[in-house]
Amino acid sequence: MPKMSGAKILIETLKSERVKHIFGIPGGATIPIYDVLYDEKEIRHILTRHEQAAAHAADGYARVSGKPGVCMATSGPGATNLVTGILNAYMDSSPVIAITGQVPKPFLGTDAFQEADMMSIMLPITKHNFMIRSVSEIPKKVKLAFKIAMTGRRGPVHIDFPKDMQVAETEVEIPRKVKYQKKVKVRPRAEEVRRAVELLVQANRPLILAGGGVISANAATEVVKLAEILQAPVVTTLLGKGAIPENHPLALGMLGMHGRMAANLAVTECDVLFGVGLRFDDRATGDVRHFAPRAKIIHVDIDPVELGKNVRVDVPIVADAKIALRAVIKGIQSLAKRGKGGQWLERVKKMRKDFAPRMDYDDVPIKPQRVMKELMRTLSEEAIITTEVGQCEMWAAHYYEVKKPRHFIVSGGLGTMGFGFPAAIGAKVARPGCDVVDVAGDGSFLMNSQELATAVDNDIPVVVCILDNRYLGMVKQWQDLFFDKRRSAVDLGETPDFAKLAEAYGAWGETVTRPSEIAPKLEEALRCGKPAVLDIVIDPEEHVLPMVPAGGRIDRMLT
Amino acid sequence: MPTHIFSVLCENEPGMMMRICRSFMRRQVNIDSITVGIEPSGLARIILMFNSDERTAEFLRQVLLRLTQVIDVEKLEEKTSIVREIALLKTKQLSEEERGRVLEEIEKVGGRVLQVAGKALIAEIYGDHERIEKLIHTLGSGVLKEVARSGQVIISKTME
Ligand SMILES: Cc1ncc(C[n+]2csc(CCOP(=O)(O)OP(=O)(O)O)c2C)c(N)n1
Ligand SMILES: [Mg+2]
Repeated sequence: MPKMSGAKILIETLKSERVKHIFGIPGGATIPIYDVLYDEKEIRHILTRHEQAAAHAADGYARVSGKPGVCMATSGPGATNLVTGILNAYMDSSPVIAITGQVPKPFLGTDAFQEADMMSIMLPITKHNFMIRSVSEIPKKVKLAFKIAMTGRRGPVHIDFPKDMQVAETEVEIPRKVKYQKKVKVRPRAEEVRRAVELLVQANRPLILAGGGVISANAATEVVKLAEILQAPVVTTLLGKGAIPENHPLALGMLGMHGRMAANLAVTECDVLFGVGLRFDDRATGDVRHFAPRAKIIHVDIDPVELGKNVRVDVPIVADAKIALRAVIKGIQSLAKRGKGGQWLERVKKMRKDFAPRMDYDDVPIKPQRVMKELMRTLSEEAIITTEVGQCEMWAAHYYEVKKPRHFIVSGGLGTMGFGFPAAIGAKVARPGCDVVDVAGDGSFLMNSQELATAVDNDIPVVVCILDNRYLGMVKQWQDLFFDKRRSAVDLGETPDFAKLAEAYGAWGETVTRPSEIAPKLEEALRCGKPAVLDIVIDPEEHVLPMVPAGGRIDRMLT
Repeated sequence: MPTHIFSVLCENEPGMMMRICRSFMRRQVNIDSITVGIEPSGLARIILMFNSDERTAEFLRQVLLRLTQVIDVEKLEEKTSIVREIALLKTKQLSEEERGRVLEEIEKVGGRVLQVAGKALIAEIYGDHERIEKLIHTLGSGVLKEVARSGQVIISKTME
């Protein structure tokens, strides 16, 4: 057995987990690892310009590829800069592996230079975290990190790696697999399936509510199949977008605060709600006392903590979304039953038509709805959309019809401004063949615009479409609607010139002010061969409507 | 709100207590008693008592089970368990008369004097939670200078 340093063992173990990319920034406490990377051919390191962006890029990479994304930072400030990105991954159950350097073991707990107590800081925001305490345990612990991140409900895992452990050498073998004793129930019980099937076949107004768990379990095909057998409409959560092609006649779009009226009404009217891979977040349910008030609720989730947490559930099922969906489909087929269709289906079709969102505005300044229309017209269904946070995100979620799973990447649970651009970089690295577009707000983009350097330098041609309203628009919207139009600290002023900012980094940059320019300029941005920023000047007065006020009933939307 | 007892079997690693305790802190639940022991297998058994409604208790049980290093969370009932606690009591300097009364009280509940120094003494008492509570209450802060308690050690009566 060859003798290797801890740093080398780490890299070899990452390779054994088929890691091809690491996003990160080096520093004093990770130099030994970067020294190994210097000669490494199989792993590409992408130097971001801020560690937060490394975490978001790893997150975007993971969501698009379904494989763990890896980010790395030095001790102290490097490590703390990862925090927002890791919490973001945790809130959206995204498998990210974060590796941070740490001061040498003898210095732990002494406030040594660039020491941060990352074990404590990461503990509440990761699925699990640990410190490397001996060189020989590196392969086992690192492999375990991947296993934990990918088993059951996905989530980030943090490894704190003291510098002396990177330097110390030992002889170890890298095992092919490690044992993870934790028992995760992935199969529904026969009785649970029987009850769900019974409810569904007897339902007069069945509805499927699909969440992010469907995407991470790769169960979109099964959702569509179940919907077609039952002739049941499908509503999705924000993270569930892509669980059914949104141009499918049974797809009603997203529900909730900024969801579609048809989706919210269908949820309110249905008599059996089959919820799969979601946590009934407050932004989705509104006032839970009036959520699906006529429905028996079947809830499938891999995480037992979620069942009954937010809404009352009649049939709780702990299971993997794909396995559960298949079992339910089989159960229905074995009864040779199909959905009743009929009146409910007519109602669904009518709502779908009556509440179809309007996007054909010709106004100048440009209406954001029109931008969504142009994006849908220009981009193929293979294009991946990421978004920032604010009105921009909600316009995209409300209007943009996603056709495929893992093609719509947003910060859902945490709502992190600055997520979309680095996530787009991660997405493009994972799927270089796809066009990747960040639907950005001007405020959000500025939170990680330094990553233009990363994108240009590493030749990662993503397109940022800024919905430029020169406002922290979503906050302004709340002030307008609920605080008597007192617009406090939301005006972003005139600066910067986003096109020039892009050019300063060596990226492509243009500004558009008329609806007819959007599509041709977007084409140009996509084909220019470099990272691009398309600054779209939109109507600053536009609100995201309809809207359910916080805590309100989802069937009572402001319009 | 009812009292709940969890017997948590988990890996014996640094930070384990923190992981468990913060799960309670985050949900604003106060832990009344906590004890830790290492099983012959090398795993740790942490016994917790707390007050909450049933729904929160079940939620917390699931939250604990979700922790990577937690192997099992058993819900114990006081009725079907054996509960023991030890308390060590140090008194203030006592008058002759007070001392007589204190010794009497301690003996009455089966406690035992371990050390006498001048007019103060140290005694031990063990038994169920109520017995200890009662003695401490009877003696009161006028007599007691310091109390050290083990927390409640609990095992279910079920035997396989
Ligand atoms: C990091 C962070 N800080 C603050 C907020 C609060 N917040 C939510 S939306 C928003 C405005 C976003 O502005 P912009 O990116 O321009 O998007 P717009 O709403 O104008 O489309 C703010 C400040 C947040 N979500 N994230
Ligand atoms: Mg804005």
